[in-house]
Amino acid sequence: MLSFLNARQSGLDDPVRLRRAESTRRVLSLELNHNRDVARVHGNGINTLDIEVIDGRYMLSGGSDGVIVIYDLENNSKKLQYSCKTVCTVGRSSRHVHKFSVETVQWYPHDTGMFVSSSFDKTMKVWDTETLKPAEEFQFDGNVYCHHMSPVARKHSLIAVGTKDPKVQLCDLKSGSRIHILQGHRGEILSVRWSPRYEHILATASTDSRVRVWDVRRASGSLFTLDQHNGDKSKASSEAVNTAHNGRANGLCFTADGLHLLTTGTDDRMRLWNSATGENTLVNYGKVVNESRKGLKFTVSRDCSPEFVFVPCGTSVAVYGLHSGELITMLRGHYNNVDCCEFHPDYQELYSGGKDCNILAWVPVLRQPDIEDEETNSKRGGTQAAVNPAFEDAWSSDEG
Amino acid sequence: MSRKRAMIADTFCLTKRRRSAADAVTGDSHEGAADIRSSLQKLMTLFSRKLFNDSLPPVVLKHQLYSLHSDKTSVDKQLNELRASGELLMFQLGFDSEAFALVFAEDYRAKVLQGEAGRETLETVEKFLDKMIPGCSDLSFNKEKMLKEFLFTDSEITRLVKSGVLTVRDVGSRWLSIPNSGKFIKYFIKGRKAVLGMVKKSRYGEILKTELEGRRTTSHVKFQMKSHVHDIVGAELVECIQTTSGTLLRYVDGNDN
Repeated sequence: MLSFLNARQSGLDDPVRLRRAESTRRVLSLELNHNRDVARVHGNGINTLDIEVIDGRYMLSGGSDGVIVIYDLENNSKKLQYSCKTVCTVGRSSRHVHKFSVETVQWYPHDTGMFVSSSFDKTMKVWDTETLKPAEEFQFDGNVYCHHMSPVARKHSLIAVGTKDPKVQLCDLKSGSRIHILQGHRGEILSVRWSPRYEHILATASTDSRVRVWDVRRASGSLFTLDQHNGDKSKASSEAVNTAHNGRANGLCFTADGLHLLTTGTDDRMRLWNSATGENTLVNYGKVVNESRKGLKFTVSRDCSPEFVFVPCGTSVAVYGLHSGELITMLRGHYNNVDCCEFHPDYQELYSGGKDCNILAWVPVLRQPDIEDEETNSKRGGTQAAVNPAFEDAWSSDEG
Repeated sequence: MSRKRAMIADTFCLTKRRRSAADAVTGDSHEGAADIRSSLQKLMTLFSRKLFNDSLPPVVLKHQLYSLHSDKTSVDKQLNELRASGELLMFQLGFDSEAFALVFAEDYRAKVLQGEAGRETLETVEKFLDKMIPGCSDLSFNKEKMLKEFLFTDSEITRLVKSGVLTVRDVGSRWLSIPNSGKFIKYFIKGRKAVLGMVKKSRYGEILKTELEGRRTTSHVKFQMKSHVHDIVGAELVECIQTTSGTLLRYVDGNDN
């Protein structure tokens, strides 16, 4: 660590390098910390989490009981022990609360004045955070599995919605219209994601085992379909040609730079694709247990040197190296299945929520001070520098 | 708990890397492929020839390699290199879309010709082996491709299917296969089920790897115990846990097998 600081100071290294190395070190030491927890509000499982992009201060969570809660993640108390409190909730007593489980929530990408939630009661609501009343409500014909707004969009404000219907619907926030649909899938759409690099590129995953990448400006179908065999038609049985997975494709996540796309499927596999060409990079993660009948929400770290993927696997969260495919560690702590996880890029923390109604915060373990230093500090009262008694001498003085 | 050995990223192990970088650079790629080849040969010794009256070449399943090497992606990459060079052949076995069988090309060729000796399909099979094996590394063949590129006639294709080198996949396409491999697949599936049952029935559903290898095999298990253990570990049908007494295999719930 000191060598990195020296190199940065003398100009040998790029400033980014120190940040990356330190972020990686922090991610590798993620642990459950008794100093940090999140207030427990949900009475039923937690389906989705979202941390706002601007400050990283507020977190939204949506539960199976239809309740939406906003937490304040920042520690303003001077104490080390901190419990993330709820700022406000849309509880069961609210007139506008969703009737059934909330599947996806997302903050408006440009400020925290608005957030959007979609639920199994076949509606998607756009909420005003101040009054906690829906400003707009979109009705659909089938259960809404997921929705996503583009984080980098300047020219459009479309929300992509995946429902039971094989057609992907694009709802416009500005005008309230929903005439734009994307046709091509043959099964329910379990996951949709906008690319964080280009504001017009959208990826969708469906129960027909296919993952399609679309450019919404194009009038004719998808740009390409991800093929797990990279066009080698001889490898698969003939029904499995041109599919991304051998089962339902139910999870999508772009890497932070938007160059790669990760997909998970119920064939217990996770695949990494080049998002520009649609080529399977053939990184082998092994068996990534996936029994989710809805979409799986997983996340990728940011600003680390080997990037990490955090995937909910049963009752724990598995951490894989993105390009190497090796299983780094399993984060165990939940009492029941984990449904969603979200990475806080500024503090390298991971928040995960699951069926046990808990949101756990995985915090990097700071370097513990040596036991010797702690003792001497407590004896002399902390202000003096901790000196090992072996190095003390009788003739030098502290003044001057 | 504060003294637990922390995971360190590669970037922080700079000094170690610098020292070993010099000697690693030259021998790295050769070392990798040779590594896989030696593991393949080691696994092939576990294959019992007598069982099939010497009619099958030694077969290894791709996921058995995953139990020997930790980095699956590099194993896949090296296997693809060996296949591209024509040394190794990969076959899709019918029972699992992810289970691939690996056979050395010379062994395959020798056994197939040995099995065909004296039959009228011999020449067609020889022609097929000469054309297909060195060039392409496909697992299945489309009818048009066989007719046009490789200039086989319909009757020749029927003869190839009869001899067992090709099996039906779909209308108009055939899988590449190992002749007489039906018995192998049957014993394999039976043995895998029996070994998994052994792990499941053990106390707490877990058993030490050394103990499992030492157990007496029932009549259902025809192959060597070690090869089945490699198979279930590599296919992740059991969880592999390192303990102070060795490797522990714990049965994973939710398996279809």
